[in-house]
Amino acid sequence: MNDRTLDRPWLLIAEREVSTKLRDKTFIGSTLVMLAVVLAAVILPALLAGGNNSDKIAVIDDGGAAVVQRASQTQGGNAYEPLRVADQDAAEAAVTKTDATAALLPGPDGYVVIGKDKVDSGVGAALRAAVAEVGMEKNASAVKLTPEQLRAGTQVSEKILEPGPLPGYVSDFVNIGLALVFYMTALGFGMMIAQSVVQEKESRVVEILAASVPIRSLLWGKVLGNTVLALGQIVVIAAASLVGLAATDRLDILSVVAPVAGWFVIFFVLGFVALAGLWAVAGSLATRQEDLGSTTLPGQMILMIPFFFAVFAGPGPREIASFVPIASSMSMPGRMLTEDVPLWQPLVAIAILLVSTVLIIRVGARLYERTLLKTGHRLGYRQALALKAE
Amino acid sequence: MLRVAGLTRRFGEQLALDDVTFDVVPGRMTGFVGANGAGKTTTMRIILGVLAASAGEVRWQGELLTPKVRQDFGYMPEERGLYPKMKIRDQLIFFGRLHGMTQNHAAERTDKLLGRLGLAERATDVLETLSLGNQQRVQIAVALIHQPIALVLDEPFSGLDPLAVDAMVDLLREEVTPEIPVLFSSHQLDLVERLCDDLVVLSRGKVVAAGPVAELAASQTPTYRLVVDGDAGWLRDLPGLRVRDVAGGTALFDVEDAGDAQQILQQAMSRGPVLEFGPERVALSDVFREATR
Repeated sequence: MNDRTLDRPWLLIAEREVSTKLRDKTFIGSTLVMLAVVLAAVILPALLAGGNNSDKIAVIDDGGAAVVQRASQTQGGNAYEPLRVADQDAAEAAVTKTDATAALLPGPDGYVVIGKDKVDSGVGAALRAAVAEVGMEKNASAVKLTPEQLRAGTQVSEKILEPGPLPGYVSDFVNIGLALVFYMTALGFGMMIAQSVVQEKESRVVEILAASVPIRSLLWGKVLGNTVLALGQIVVIAAASLVGLAATDRLDILSVVAPVAGWFVIFFVLGFVALAGLWAVAGSLATRQEDLGSTTLPGQMILMIPFFFAVFAGPGPREIASFVPIASSMSMPGRMLTEDVPLWQPLVAIAILLVSTVLIIRVGARLYERTLLKTGHRLGYRQALALKAE
Repeated sequence: MLRVAGLTRRFGEQLALDDVTFDVVPGRMTGFVGANGAGKTTTMRIILGVLAASAGEVRWQGELLTPKVRQDFGYMPEERGLYPKMKIRDQLIFFGRLHGMTQNHAAERTDKLLGRLGLAERATDVLETLSLGNQQRVQIAVALIHQPIALVLDEPFSGLDPLAVDAMVDLLREEVTPEIPVLFSSHQLDLVERLCDDLVVLSRGKVVAAGPVAELAASQTPTYRLVVDGDAGWLRDLPGLRVRDVAGGTALFDVEDAGDAQQILQQAMSRGPVLEFGPERVALSDVFREATR
């Protein structure tokens, strides 16, 4: 009667899980909000620093415009932009009406910088340096010196003997950020998994599903589908932050983060899969949405405690936490980014995590099989463990 | 053929099914009746593998029923339920694929069934926006989507108006080819009588009657109806019969065998004119009452 028997029912379950979520307005909404928050976190500081906004400087001749452009180049990017006007009156009017931040006009011996009620010190210094530079180059070419000859022996460069991975405040930020990404994703998706399981129980569709495919494949499908979604969400967010970093000229951060990205993915996937199994059980212990509050409590604790550890604990406890399953997903990638962690540490942590993930998933699958078709009242974890196979 | 053999199921101390054995013959509709709590749903859930039996087995074509074969069964559970927020067409295709159909085949079959059930315009509507009757139609479509090799329907007609029942019955008649056994439970005995070829009556976890409806009805001692010109009260004084009702000249009575009935007819004729005499048709509800008494 049928075309074939379904070899991989979990794949179909996963597919439904993904396609349903991708059409779910709440899911799309929360992803967009997260995206906006991340983009804002990356771009806002640069915007506030004015790095992206060019200040307009009113000028009346080519010399002035050249100076403004030089100042802009020295600052890197497009900090200042010349605003060409007809004469001194027009330039002063532009400054008064705040069309321009300042005006640069030819003066008795060089230039005069004009401000409305004051001259911004950054703008003043930049223009002064650019005027000096352009003026000296002009004078130098008058005595047939090239700009290189003029500057010979005056350059200062920097060399650091023990380069740290990242400056202190940045490494704190990265540690919290990585732990937060895992925490938020695992919690958000965890609740979604538990809800989707209890919805299937509440709507009784689970009876038809269980009559069609093995219950285990329902669990695998859910775990797989949501892991793919979670990773997808993180990739999208990572891509957005790359765009943000590129837009604000901070791609240099990437070179520091990139080597840890692979480790992060491994820790993320293993930790997420273990938790997904637990959350699915939380859903199958419940019979109604209202039960989720109590059945998901252990899952929330398993996430929350290591999160605070990863964020607030000192280096010693954090090092220990980075070996504890689930906690390691939140602290090890951050540690690797900000400290010099010997290679054996992440490898051992991954081994421990892998073993526990397999164990958690096995116990989870057993609980799931035995509780999914039980309706009537909410079950406790201990009760569920005592249940016999149907 | 689908055979249920010696099914026993305990819930704690309580014996829900006690050595239940019956056959569901291909091409015939088997009605599954019994009072609430008799064990119908438990039996059906065991057939579908959703519940384990404490003892006994389910056989298909003589072999133990495997999950692989069971995947081709169609099932409508007592507690209805599909994905409330999924579009009905997507939903049917999903269940089709879950039973091993290709996307295209499932889509083709979905459109045919939706058209057949008068739901073609609602195809892209979300299930929960449909009326309960229409949701039930989608539910039966889910049971039929993969052209099942056997059908197990738990109270398929409950909650439907008579027109919807007729439409669903027509659909079933169309879908049930001679090789498909169908087992369906119902409280509506008149409906079971109209639809079923075979009957299994369950009472407190035991099969108390099973077989073709016609045979079961024939095995009952019939009730006779007698109408005479005058009062029929004298029937009450006769031995060898049980009077059900006498009102003026009209009486209903049971006899042990058909010979007794003829003697009563002769007596009645000797007392005056007989206007009407004959066996009453045995209603299924009588078979049911008799069996579960």
